[in-house]
Amino acid sequence: MKKLMSLLFSIAMFVTLCTISAFATADDHVVVYAQVPDDWQSPYVWAWADDGTNAFAAWPGGEMEADPANAGWYFCHIPSSTNNLIINANEGTVQTSVDLKLDGNNAWLTVTTPEDVAISSTQLTEGELPVYIEKFTIHAKVPADWDGANIWAWSDPDGKGAFTTWPGKEMTASETGWYAVEVPVFVNSIIINTSGGEVKTEDIKGVDAAEMWITVAEDGSHEFSYNDPEKAAISDVTIHVSTPTDWTDANLWAWSAPDGTNVYSAWPGEALEVGDNGWMTKVVPGWVNSVIVNAQEGGIQTTDVSIELEKDVWLVITDGETYEVFYEEPIIDAVVAPEPEVKPEPEVKPEPPVEPSEPATTESNVMPIVIGAVVIIVAVGAGYYMIQKKKN
Amino acid sequence: MKRLLAMLMTLSMFGGLLAGCAPSEKPATDGPVSITIWHDKEDAIVEVLQEDFASLAPDILVNLEKKTNLTEALKMVGNDPKAAPDMYLFAHDKLGVYAEMGILSPITDFLSDEVLAEYLPMTLDAATYKENLYQLPLYFETLLFMYNRRYMEDSEVPTTTEALYSYMERTTQGGHYGFVEQHSTAYYAAGWIHAFDGVIIGADGVPALNSDEVVDALTYHKKFVDLMPTESEYATVNTLFNEGKAHATIGGPWMVPTVRASGMDLGLAPMPVVDETNRPISPFSGVQGVHVLKVATAHKKDAITRVLETLTATEVGAKLALASGCAPAKLACYDLPEIANDELVMNMRATAENAVAMPNIPEMDVMFSVATNLLVDVNMSGKDIPSSAQHHQDKAISLIEKMK
Repeated sequence: MKKLMSLLFSIAMFVTLCTISAFATADDHVVVYAQVPDDWQSPYVWAWADDGTNAFAAWPGGEMEADPANAGWYFCHIPSSTNNLIINANEGTVQTSVDLKLDGNNAWLTVTTPEDVAISSTQLTEGELPVYIEKFTIHAKVPADWDGANIWAWSDPDGKGAFTTWPGKEMTASETGWYAVEVPVFVNSIIINTSGGEVKTEDIKGVDAAEMWITVAEDGSHEFSYNDPEKAAISDVTIHVSTPTDWTDANLWAWSAPDGTNVYSAWPGEALEVGDNGWMTKVVPGWVNSVIVNAQEGGIQTTDVSIELEKDVWLVITDGETYEVFYEEPIIDAVVAPEPEVKPEPEVKPEPPVEPSEPATTESNVMPIVIGAVVIIVAVGAGYYMIQKKKN
Repeated sequence: MKRLLAMLMTLSMFGGLLAGCAPSEKPATDGPVSITIWHDKEDAIVEVLQEDFASLAPDILVNLEKKTNLTEALKMVGNDPKAAPDMYLFAHDKLGVYAEMGILSPITDFLSDEVLAEYLPMTLDAATYKENLYQLPLYFETLLFMYNRRYMEDSEVPTTTEALYSYMERTTQGGHYGFVEQHSTAYYAAGWIHAFDGVIIGADGVPALNSDEVVDALTYHKKFVDLMPTESEYATVNTLFNEGKAHATIGGPWMVPTVRASGMDLGLAPMPVVDETNRPISPFSGVQGVHVLKVATAHKKDAITRVLETLTATEVGAKLALASGCAPAKLACYDLPEIANDELVMNMRATAENAVAMPNIPEMDVMFSVATNLLVDVNMSGKDIPSSAQHHQDKAISLIEKMK
């Protein structure tokens, strides 16, 4: 029972690990401004650091806000460490295609075409720059007969509002049926509404400033969770991989398309482990539907490989472009796995210097056993030597 | 053949024993004296010590040797002048074992009562076994009440356990928790037991798991456990707090660097007072310090004394505390601005006012696992508290008998 509880809890927690950074401060953020072509609607910014760490949990990244004081300019704050950018729009269907690299400072980008982007570190907008306010995402699933969804959000009891006029901000619909919106972290009370605010939930108070999912029922009642209900109930699956013999240090990168939720926070993902029958394996959440296998620290990789949800997978890679996907273990002549590399798993979280769940003096008993074994071996060896000597 | 092998084995072991009884090495009359100190500490601590000990050169050369199996190694070679270190740096809670083995020298053989009077009484008490002080305390650690200011404002920090319970009832929802702790690990749950004036084991070495105080503590604690995740091992609790899934926790100072690195606005507060007893949750404290091996005393007493004296410097105590994230054992350290202005250190000292030093008696060796099993039965399996307490009391007594 304890193991089952632990497993369920681990699944629930693993899903939450997709949040890239738990907490952030204004000090470590810069503002990115962008002007985009007229036919680019609702621009977003996707950003990552040179070490592969992403600024946002899922594609298309952070929503850029229109700057009311500077017509045609959109802005978004990103961590100053994430110096590589893609500006995208139209629900991620158009995007810049040239390398956009920042120097850790505020930047103004003029996107003329996907290939033609000018970057300036000199301010091209008027007035003071917007102050960074950390935000979190609220997802809502509303009754089918609702005409979209809006959110009204505020801080209780001081009444500070996130939006200026009722019914608040329109939430963005996604293919999954969930609406989503970002609100400032001072928000602890919300109302989900539709039809200009005529239909709404009751005040939902006392919420934490953390990504959450609210399900609104037909009668306007609601339930909410800080764990994605779509993902928490799905079991993990095992990805089995056979790579070419010259691929070393193979890693798995895994995500959910099209929402872009990544399993790992940084490319190239996590190391594949030695499994049975020569396969390299990795357990991933069952909601993963896309993977890339890469090697040589990401220097070699497959193309995007689509896989079915909630099924164990056997992936036989011939080269970066050629692979076969099986959902039962294939019978093949020889699965050649690379030599297992002895290195620790990437840590999800740092451990303390001292294991505190036990008193500071808790240690293993391996050393005495080793010493004892050595003493015995030496004694037996000496005895054997003397016997042989005597016989001679 | 068998007889010969047996004889050889016997001779080999006897030889080893004789080595342990060999007379001490003659004191060196010329050249520097070498002092070896075993430890298990992180680099930051070692750097402070090395800097301090450099002042003793060239007369005394101190070699800090990191041992991964320090306590077991001491049991094996603690009385072997050729293999034992001269001193070791470690927590206080094993010194009873070594004192019973007869391998330690009292610190009072080297330092005067006047010097030792400058230390927090709690640290000296922790280092005392059967009326002998076997450790020079350097710094100590204890658990702290920590909270995430994003969710719990300073004005909301509960000062009593009933206020904490109300907060947990109000905020534990949707997969977030108002408060989490390692509720079924003895080291953590001991704070609640102490608040009920209970102990896991008495000073006389007799387990007390079936005492009224322990049963009352477990009974009261259970309603808090019911508002926490069933699984409460170290990684789960830390992840919940570090990633903003829990508003508050009780954890050690070792958590603080990671939590602060996450960008969390971390708050530290005194332990809530248990309404039932009017005593605060009173966790264990561990005192880290240096111990002297008896085998080194005869021929290196002067050098050891000088090493100990240099460690009594106020500045050294402060540096060690800051490097370790713990609180200094020497009272004068708290007059230094770098200590007095350190929120973590000062909170730890405040909590230590009510902390209970981990027992240093040998019998404690078996108690952590037995007490944790009791907590698992009560908190995670829902077993009857009095009968579980009696069952594990009997188990502890049995194990201690076997140990003897």
